Amino acid sequence: MPVEKTKSAKIFKIRGRVVTVNLIPGTKVYGEELIKEKAVEYRVWDSWRSKPSAAIKNGLKNFPLQENMIVLYLGIANGTTASHFSDVVGKNGLIYGVEISGRPFRELLPLAEKRGNIVPILANARKPEDYEHTIIDKVDLVYQDVATDDQITVLIRNCEKFLKSGGYAVLAIKSQSIDVVKPPKQVYKECLQELEKYFEILDKVELDPYEKFHLFVVMKWKK
Amino acid sequence: MQAYLVKTFIGIFALDENRKVVSFRPFPKDGSDVASRLDEKEPKEYKEIKIELKQKGFKTFVDDDEKSKELVNQNLRKYAIEYKFSKDVLEFNQFLSKVNQEVSKRKIKSQVSRDSLVINTNNAIDELDKSINIFVERMREFYGLHFPEMDRLVSDHEKYAEIIKKYGTREKISDSELKKFAEDSMGIEFTGEDVGIASILADNVIELYNLRKKLSDYLGNLLKEVAPNFSALGGDLIAAKLISRAGGMDRLSKMPSSTIQLLGSEKALFRFLRSKGRSKSPKYGLIYNHPLIQNSPADKQGKIARLLASKLSIAARIDYYSGEYRGDEMKKELHEKVKEILKEK
Ligand SMILES: C[S@@+](CC[C@H](N)C(=O)[O-])C[C@H]1O[C@@H](n2cnc3c(N)ncnc32)[C@H](O)[C@@H]1O
Repeated sequence: MPVEKTKSAKIFKIRGRVVTVNLIPGTKVYGEELIKEKAVEYRVWDSWRSKPSAAIKNGLKNFPLQENMIVLYLGIANGTTASHFSDVVGKNGLIYGVEISGRPFRELLPLAEKRGNIVPILANARKPEDYEHTIIDKVDLVYQDVATDDQITVLIRNCEKFLKSGGYAVLAIKSQSIDVVKPPKQVYKECLQELEKYFEILDKVELDPYEKFHLFVVMKWKK
Repeated sequence: MQAYLVKTFIGIFALDENRKVVSFRPFPKDGSDVASRLDEKEPKEYKEIKIELKQKGFKTFVDDDEKSKELVNQNLRKYAIEYKFSKDVLEFNQFLSKVNQEVSKRKIKSQVSRDSLVINTNNAIDELDKSINIFVERMREFYGLHFPEMDRLVSDHEKYAEIIKKYGTREKISDSELKKFAEDSMGIEFTGEDVGIASILADNVIELYNLRKKLSDYLGNLLKEVAPNFSALGGDLIAAKLISRAGGMDRLSKMPSSTIQLLGSEKALFRFLRSKGRSKSPKYGLIYNHPLIQNSPADKQGKIARLLASKLSIAARIDYYSGEYRGDEMKKELHEKVKEILKEK
């Protein structure tokens, strides 16, 4: 089977499916399929369970995650998506994962242990001051998937504290959690207007049918 | 000479007045040991470095200097390698991850069955409210002898207490509204000693309210951990009472929504059963106090109570099983549905 390249050096496609190179060969994280090609083991990145994969499927051109990056992940949950991030940034990269809720977090811990490049942080993303001393780096990319009504404010506050100047921010906007009555398109428009004050919008794509009423946005910090 | 001390996950750094690193005491390379040291205010290495610095002539030590913390953190990767704590980035990252796994495990452990704290705190607040009532009554009765008109003019108890504290006798009250009434009050004169007692009673009331505020802030934080979605929908007070009534999140998450709707109405229910149908069957328990029900016309309350109870029961299950926070979204949905119900003929 041919392994196709994507814009992200460490993200590939095999027969139309998005895949990453398994950092810990032989192990699955959430029941995903493993494919071996020319002595390299790939993990299928399930678009139905992970938004960046859905975005890439839906034609997102620029997903800025690269090898060796340091990432701040807000709303990391049990690490389904983060496990692929962990594949991409590799052994010398790092993911700081913030999660507010103890239950998904409990499942994240063994993953962090196995992979070694995930720093689990049990905290509220609304209060970056609670974990500012845990995150000792300026990060290359902030990824946010928290689905709260103030998700844009939360993103900006975290970028101000932790993002490198000119760094990337990637956000999954869930129209339903921002406003249930307004049509999603309207919500997206308002969010983008707000975001444009701080970021240059590099790319965006809706996640339908994988996730309803979600817009996936890739941005560059203007500061 | 003064030194700044900065605790990091690899050890303690000391900086001089120009914020140059003058010493470093590494922690042991063990995640669990480091996690304990991060918890302690003065771990072993902290004491050691202080002794060393004292010998070097440093006299005062400053712990919480933001600038030093920032400086050290910015350079921590470099220092770790310079001081031979980690041999490379890989080792450093892995240790950072390891330490935070340990830190998180401890946090989670302390979260287990923290819902019993919710129940305790809720009960403490209930008890406190009873005491507040008693003291408020004493205070109002006592000061009412001197200035009976104020009882109805100032309904807020804390404010009432503050007025006593601020002015003492009614003659000194400068608040224009109250002044009018104070001037031709029907009350008896108060001596200095009388005022002294009134102000002790007022102090008590103020203290109790402070305590209540602390407890309810604490309760709010607990609920964010234990029942973030449930309390987002129900509000802190009702959520805490429901959890207490149910006996914890475990039981609450297993209750059908019809039970949640009636939680707290047990007395009325028994009355109904005993009366063999002669009194009314209760429609709702604690949730009746929810603003969405309180602020709706009586003929819609039943329907809204059912809706609220069903959303609460979903929220309790999410809190107990997955814990994913969706409170904002659920709250918006709930409000939309209530709007629809209110529009119905
Ligand atoms: C949609 S899920 C994330 C799924 C995950 N990104 C993945 O793809 O594997 C959203 C997560 O954000 C968490 N969350 C919600 N509010 C949060 C907050 N204020 N701070 C941190 N995490 C939060 C939720 O508990 C939940 O686990």
